[in-house]
Amino acid sequence: MKKKLFATVLACTLCVTTLLAGCGSQETPSSAENTQSAAGDSQAAETTPADNTSTEAASGEKKYEGVELTYWSMWNSAEPQGQALMAAAEAFEAETGAVVNFEWRGREIKNILASSLEAQEKIDLFEDDYSRITSNYVDYVADLTQMAEAAGYADLSYQIFRDRTTEWAGFLACVAEQPSVGGVFYNQDLFDQAGITTTPATWEEFLTVCQTLVDNGIQPVALDSTYAPFFFGYHLARNIGQDAVKELTVNGGWSNNAGAVQAAQQMIDFVNAGYLAEGAPDEYPNSQNKMGISRDVAMVVCANYVTPEVNTVTNGNPVNWGMFAYPAVEGGADPDATFVGFNSIAIPKYSENQQAAFDFALYVTTGAQGQNFADLADQIPADPNNTAPVSQTGTIEVLQGVTSPLDWNMGLNENGDLQTVIQETVVRLYEGEFATGEDFTAALDALY
Amino acid sequence: MASPCFFREVMLGMRKRKSFIIAFVSPCVLVVLVMYLYPIIRTAIMTFFAIDSVTADVSKWTFNGVDNYVKIFTSPTFQRAMSNIFLIWLVGGIFVLAFALLFAVIITSGIRFKKFFRAAIYLPNIISAVALATMWIQYIYNQDYGLLNQILELFGLEGKNWLGTDMKFWAMLGAFIFGAVGYYMLIFINGIERIPADLYEAATIDGANKIQQFWRLTLPLLRGIFKTNITFWTVNSLTFFLWSKMFSPISSEAATMVPVVYLYDTVFGTTGNVQRDAGAGAATGVVLAVLVGLVYFVMNKLLKDDDLEF
Repeated sequence: MKKKLFATVLACTLCVTTLLAGCGSQETPSSAENTQSAAGDSQAAETTPADNTSTEAASGEKKYEGVELTYWSMWNSAEPQGQALMAAAEAFEAETGAVVNFEWRGREIKNILASSLEAQEKIDLFEDDYSRITSNYVDYVADLTQMAEAAGYADLSYQIFRDRTTEWAGFLACVAEQPSVGGVFYNQDLFDQAGITTTPATWEEFLTVCQTLVDNGIQPVALDSTYAPFFFGYHLARNIGQDAVKELTVNGGWSNNAGAVQAAQQMIDFVNAGYLAEGAPDEYPNSQNKMGISRDVAMVVCANYVTPEVNTVTNGNPVNWGMFAYPAVEGGADPDATFVGFNSIAIPKYSENQQAAFDFALYVTTGAQGQNFADLADQIPADPNNTAPVSQTGTIEVLQGVTSPLDWNMGLNENGDLQTVIQETVVRLYEGEFATGEDFTAALDALY
Repeated sequence: MASPCFFREVMLGMRKRKSFIIAFVSPCVLVVLVMYLYPIIRTAIMTFFAIDSVTADVSKWTFNGVDNYVKIFTSPTFQRAMSNIFLIWLVGGIFVLAFALLFAVIITSGIRFKKFFRAAIYLPNIISAVALATMWIQYIYNQDYGLLNQILELFGLEGKNWLGTDMKFWAMLGAFIFGAVGYYMLIFINGIERIPADLYEAATIDGANKIQQFWRLTLPLLRGIFKTNITFWTVNSLTFFLWSKMFSPISSEAATMVPVVYLYDTVFGTTGNVQRDAGAGAATGVVLAVLVGLVYFVMNKLLKDDDLEF
């Protein structure tokens, strides 16, 4: 009898603990404020769009007192971007009373976002690339147009960002957090050493600059295989335009396109002239790091985030960076077309705190916090009124002037099924495997 | 003769036992059905539909017959992934199992510091694959200061780009083999140590030397262990993923493409490409599962279970 009683008690205990464990929250908020209790956890006060500048209601209570925002971040808490977000959240809470709970999801956030949004998980803000937000998640994100208008977002963001987002999604689907821009990034000191006073605007001038550098014992261009399609994609887009690149990538017919053959031949001549750094195309990030370690490589064709990446290997003695647009090709396509990208912040349409979430998104990306974000991350500020860090000098002006934006790899990624084999063929181009442009385009056609 | 009362008690006891068994087994059965069987069936069904997001509502699925299978089998990237995984399985399998067996035989032959060597060879298995791959990429294969090119330079030979398009796959496979040998070696050691020492004594008395003992005694008695190792190796090879990601960290590359990476990219999209195809991803998963089953079936046919008792 005693045994039976004991067994019953044990069984009951097991059931209760299992139930408690199962019903318990699995979320472990890792906010900057996780030490401060969120008074209104269950209240999740619904707020209505209101005057953004007013942070305290007439009663003296803070505007978002009791509001708790869940923020899924693509960064991690140790990264500069994560640090900037936490600092902004702390200041935002002090001003408005809203608590921001971060969940650091890292770059693989793209793999779980769709499912989480479909399941309407508790998310008030999330980050991802704006192209994915405006395509893959467009059905789940809130239209920010009205809130943006009320907040004067047009004066706090880049025209190209608003235009593209609205074009793709049909409405303003996100707020820009970290812009990126592509071009040629160079070491100004090495240019000075070689006596190069003006940056090249055309491919011919670019080749002249490369030869001048070689004559002065400087290796012209660093290239890691990861970025080979970016380099060649840029060159191809300068020759035939991004739309034509996409068409070729999807349907083939490379050999029949004189511009593609010419672009490949120009690149073969470039490689044969010895303008690539020693060992290039190398494994990422070995070649680009030579710009910061041995300091005998002058340029790299990439997006702007290459500069802080290289600066991390300079032992506190950063490279004196400069940037110019990818050179124009004679008789080619739009020479002003530039790669632009934006890591952005979106708000699920089911969020109960859309206005508070929008206010925080704006708070962290513009003004003083936006400047702090750009400074800490060493990236282009999302607010054009802010100042670019030294390594990003000139990038704001480039972004403001972009009228013809290019995608990542300028259309070479358009065919998802052939992306890797096209990339490999491009790397082989830089490895010197093809004797002529015709050989290269024939190799690409063989993939279809 | 047993009384009817006795039979009634036995029957009652059996019925009680049955209900106990059902009560205890049903939670497990339910969990298996919901957590295991349901995803499998759902995945298999998904392969016949066009689906963007892997968790999209069924109402958003569009039936497209066997198009997903046609798509993956005609995809150059999937074909490359399959040829890569076949080479990993075959070439990697030969090297891994050969080295594992060699080390196992040496370690069980009575050498000194047996425990040290066993631990040293197994060590890569307890180090994170991320750390291992980084070590290989940065310190072994690096063009400028990597160990391999340093050795070549010592002999006056020119260094090579070990991570170029022509060598990257083999470089990755070499690093993977290094990390995998220890695990299979332990299984072989266990198999060899099961073989009674008196069999070897008898063979020695009969005049068999060590090599003859290996071919005539050790190998045949390890048949079951081989079967286990080949099955494990097959499953491990087909789920090859992390090493591929480490050798192509920013975006997937053809040289390191394997089916699971293809599946991953197809389902979640890639850098600079937002296209997703959960249906084709599911088809890839089903093909992989069928392959594992096929290899297991072939292994069962080729290598019968041990019919020897020792």
